This record gives sequence, structure tokens and C-alpha cells, in this order.
Amino acid sequence: MRLLQLSLRSLLIYSLIVVLISIPLSLYFIHAILKEEVDESLQLHTEQFLNHIKGFEYLDDLDTDLIVFDKLSYNMSIRQVQEGYPDKAYQTIEVYDSIEQEIHPFRQLSTPVDIKNKHYLLTVQISLFDTEDLLFAIGSVQVISIILLVTGLGFINRSLSKRLWKPFYKTLDQLKAFQVDRNEPFEIVETKITEFDDLNHTVKQLTDRNRSVYMQQKEFIENASHELQTPIAIFQSKLDNLMQSSSLQASDASTLSELEQTAQRMARLNKNLLLLSKIDNDQFRNTETIDVAKVLHGIVENVKHVADAENISISLRSEPITIEANKTLIEILLTNLLHNAVRHNQPGGSLMIELRNSKLVISNSGAPLKMDPEKIFERFSKEGATENNTGLGLAIVKKICTVSGYQIDYHYSSELHVFTLLLH
Amino acid sequence: MKILIIEDEKELVKSMVQFLRQESYVCEIAYTEREASEKILLFEYDCILLDISLPDGNGLRILEKLKANNKAEGVIIITAKDSIEDKIHGLNLGADDYLSKPFHLPELAARISAVIRRKHFAGNNKLMFKEIEIDLLGKTVSVLGKAVDLTRKEYDLLIFLLANKNRVVSKNSIAEHLSGDDAELFDKFDFIYSHMKNLKKKLAEMGSEDYIKSIYGLGYKFTS
Repeated sequence: MRLLQLSLRSLLIYSLIVVLISIPLSLYFIHAILKEEVDESLQLHTEQFLNHIKGFEYLDDLDTDLIVFDKLSYNMSIRQVQEGYPDKAYQTIEVYDSIEQEIHPFRQLSTPVDIKNKHYLLTVQISLFDTEDLLFAIGSVQVISIILLVTGLGFINRSLSKRLWKPFYKTLDQLKAFQVDRNEPFEIVETKITEFDDLNHTVKQLTDRNRSVYMQQKEFIENASHELQTPIAIFQSKLDNLMQSSSLQASDASTLSELEQTAQRMARLNKNLLLLSKIDNDQFRNTETIDVAKVLHGIVENVKHVADAENISISLRSEPITIEANKTLIEILLTNLLHNAVRHNQPGGSLMIELRNSKLVISNSGAPLKMDPEKIFERFSKEGATENNTGLGLAIVKKICTVSGYQIDYHYSSELHVFTLLLH
Repeated sequence: MKILIIEDEKELVKSMVQFLRQESYVCEIAYTEREASEKILLFEYDCILLDISLPDGNGLRILEKLKANNKAEGVIIITAKDSIEDKIHGLNLGADDYLSKPFHLPELAARISAVIRRKHFAGNNKLMFKEIEIDLLGKTVSVLGKAVDLTRKEYDLLIFLLANKNRVVSKNSIAEHLSGDDAELFDKFDFIYSHMKNLKKKLAEMGSEDYIKSIYGLGYKFTS
């Protein structure tokens, strides 16, 4: 849940509670006030009528007049009753309203009065219909207010979260896209909002520091590999010269041969390390249109005589496919995969290569891995200590795939090591 | 044949000189760009080995100077950097070849002899050794006038051995020369052995003497 939604939700819940409590409360109070008003009004009417009647007490046949009056009047009735009638009483009743032809609530006040020593019950009525209308109107206004409040807040929230939080989400997107091994530095956008500017500056400092540490590390590896090239070259050249010695004994020769193998191994190891850091340093950025099938055929041709020596049968099926990529990288990628498939094969084994729809599947026979298959693409994760294996071949494969946006997967099934490469 | 080695690593220079001298190359040395600049203007060389990372500047400037002075020396760039940009840049500036450190000295010798052949014997594409005659343009070999049917690898192997006459070349350097990076795969060098065997057999069949000797399992030597 987004931050603003969360704060809005609390606000909405609070205002809803307040409004929901306020509706019955206000209705109750308005109702009470209105009732009091009506009752007062009834009282007034009654008093006024009684005062009025007093002025007619001189009439002899007031009895009859009152009966006539009772018959004629609409909101009032006066009837003769026995003595001992209860005190005056307010009542709310439902009455059929002959004017509006509906049943309406009425408030009535019944007052026992004595006129010319006769007991009467005077009842005055006021329709409550208008007050109900009023209450209904007030209630409706409140409900409409709630709806307006909720939708308004929601709308404001949306536009706010779009506008106000825009810099924040931009920073977030930048952070998500940030890769320490990419060359783009983290860019700051001034927002005029203190918190966001603070955040951006802190993030920039952090990423800059990370980048610089990473760069130093990368530079160190590259420099170290570069610096090692010359001593290895000297070592190798001394060996080449030593071989020319005419006084060489057979035992010296075998030591020399072993030394040369070791020098070779160092040279390869170093070359691969250098290659890794070069790929890291984006030194293979020139791209061209490459016919992958053609490159693949060339490399298969190269490894064929080694495979032949081990009686490994190679089957190659390919469809022409062209991609836009760096040729050196593609060659290294395919070479390393094929070398791997030959090296970890068994005498008399098989090597199947299939290139179709930008998907390359290389499967080779061989004993299942002793190491964790998850670690197969890690640096220096070697299966057995073969002398000429630097343990960097598949790490380079992985690195090339990462920088080029290809996908490489490994699995072992029906006694085959299968590498699947997706070139997109 | 006169070679100028422009390289600041003294030990490496020493080895190169020692190795190349056996093949009657006369080597001169320049440790800095300044020394090299003087030498290239004063003398003529058959081949220049140029390290492009020199203490006092970029060796590529030497190439520019050679070009500006219309010098036609064959130049082989030697570098520890092995960067493709440098390689392309160097070749565009007129370098003939490019070798990255570390390298085998027999490989260097083979490259030097190829460059010198290209520069000096432009019209003559034949390489003769006693009864063996090699047509470099057509990549064909004949013994006593009879054509020998060699595979590409066997042909390359013969050229490589001839460029290193009377020197022991290790199996490693042969493997690297023939297969480049694929040499990594050859644990047992069986394939070199079979190529070597076939080459010797084919040459012998046509009546050539056996010049290729195996040395203690260390490597091979083409002896004249």
C-alpha cells in the first residue's frame, strides 16, 4: 500500500466516524428542538383559544356553539367530558390528513378545561409533516457531504500522489535501474521538497561511493592482470631460450616441459582474468551483424580434431540466424561453451549442437556434476583438477550473457549436460 | 637481417635478442620512445618490434613517424594490453602484425620471418630449403619438384618449423600456433603428434630427408 493511501485511509476513516456520529446526533437534537417548538406552539394555541372563549362566556348557548365549532374546526376539537379527566397531555398520533389525503404524524395537546362550569377536553393539533421533511433534507445534505468528502479526498490524493510524489518515484526508478557496474552515474533532480532533495543527495553520495569503490576494484584487477603479462612473458621467453641449450639432459627436459605447462597455465589464467575485466569495462562495445551459424560452424571445425582424437561424435544442426553483437564476444562465448562440452565429455561420447530460432542448445555426454550445478557459472568453480582448465571459461560465458542480455541455463538430464543459450 | 627491438622490459629484450641471434638476426635495442625515434631515422631495419606502452610515451607515435618519413619497415606491435582498439589503430597506422604478451619466442620468430618475407621478397613467393620448395602464395609444397599433398595444419606446421630452423620449439608453442585459443583443449598434444607424424611421412614419401627431430618429448627441432 502506498504511503499516501495509508494516510488518506486513516483520514477517511476518522472523518467517516465523525460524520456518522454527527448525523444521528444532529438529527436527534434538531428533532428535540422542533418538538419543543411544536409543543410550545400547541400550548400557545390552547391559551389563546381559552382566552378567546372567555370573551364569549356571556353567550347563553355557548354549549351549542362549541359543538358547532368542534365540528367545523380542522386542527382543534372541544368536547364535553365527565369530571376528573386527567391533566393536559402531549401526544404524537397518526392521522389521516384529508387535505393531502395521506396519513401524517400530528402532535396534539389535550387540555381539560372548564367553561361555564362544564368540563371540556380541548385538543389542539399541529401536523408534523413539515418537520419530518426538514429532518429528511438535513439528513440528505449530510449524506451528500460524506460522498463529496470521500470522492474529493480520493481525487485530491490521486493527483497529489502523482504530482507530489513524482520525484520520489523517479528516485526509486533510478535506484532500481542503478547498476554499480554500469557507467551512468546517479542523476539528481532538484525537487524543491527538502526531504526528497535530502534523500536524493544521500542516495547520490552512496551510489557514487559504491561506484568509485567498484571502479577501483575493477581497475585493480585489470591493472594486476596487465602487470602480470610482462613477467609471464619474460618467464616464458626464458624457458624458450633454455630449451635451446645443447647440454640439456632428459630429466632437465621433462622439468622444463612441466615448467612450460605451468607458464602456459598462468598465461591462460591471466588472459581470462583480463578478458573478464575487459568485458566488465565494456571494452567490447562495437557491434556488427553476425551470422551466428557461420561463426558456430567455424568453431566446431576448430574443436573437431580434438573431439576426433577422443572419438567424440559431433552433430551440428543449425538454421541461419543473424544478430547484432560484438563479434569477439560471440566467438569467445561459443568457443568457451564448445570447449567446455569437449573437455567434460568422455571418450566415445557425443556432442549435440542445435541452433534454432535464436536458441542454441549444446548437450554433451558425461558423468553428472559432483559440484552444485548452481555454481557452474561461478569463477574458479572447477570439476576436478584438469591442468589446462582455468575455471574461468563458464564465468566468462555468464559475463558475456549478462552484458549482452542473453540467457544461459544449465541442466543435466538423461546423462547429458545441457546448456541452453537464448540470444535475444 | 637487422631488427630493432623497441621495448622497455630489459629482461624480455635480453631473451628476445638471445633467441633471435641464433637465426643470424642482428638486433638493436631501444628502451625508450626517444631512443627509438632517433634510430628509425638514422638506420634502416628489416623488421621493428614495437612495444606500444613505453615509459616515455605511446609507441603508436613511432608508427606515425615511420609513416611520415616514408619508411617501409615491417613493424610487429608487441603489447601487454591486447586491446582491440589498439590493434586496429596500430594496423591502420601501418603495422604489419600484432602480438600480445605473453608469447612464445618461436611464434615471434615465425611472425618476423613472415613480415620480412613480405617486405623483401615481394615478387618472390617461393621459400626454399634444400629439396623442399614452398609456394607461399599458393600454399603448396613440393619435394624435388613433386607436389606434396599437405593439409592446412601440416602446411602451417612446416612453415612454423622452417621459421625456427635449428631451434627447439615446444609442443605448447606449436599447439598455440596451430590452434590459437583452442590449444587450451589439448591436454595430451595427441593431435600435434599426429600432424607431425603425417607431415614427416608425406615429406619422406616424396624423397625428402628427415629434418624434423623430436627432442626429449619437450618439442621438435627442424635441423638443417
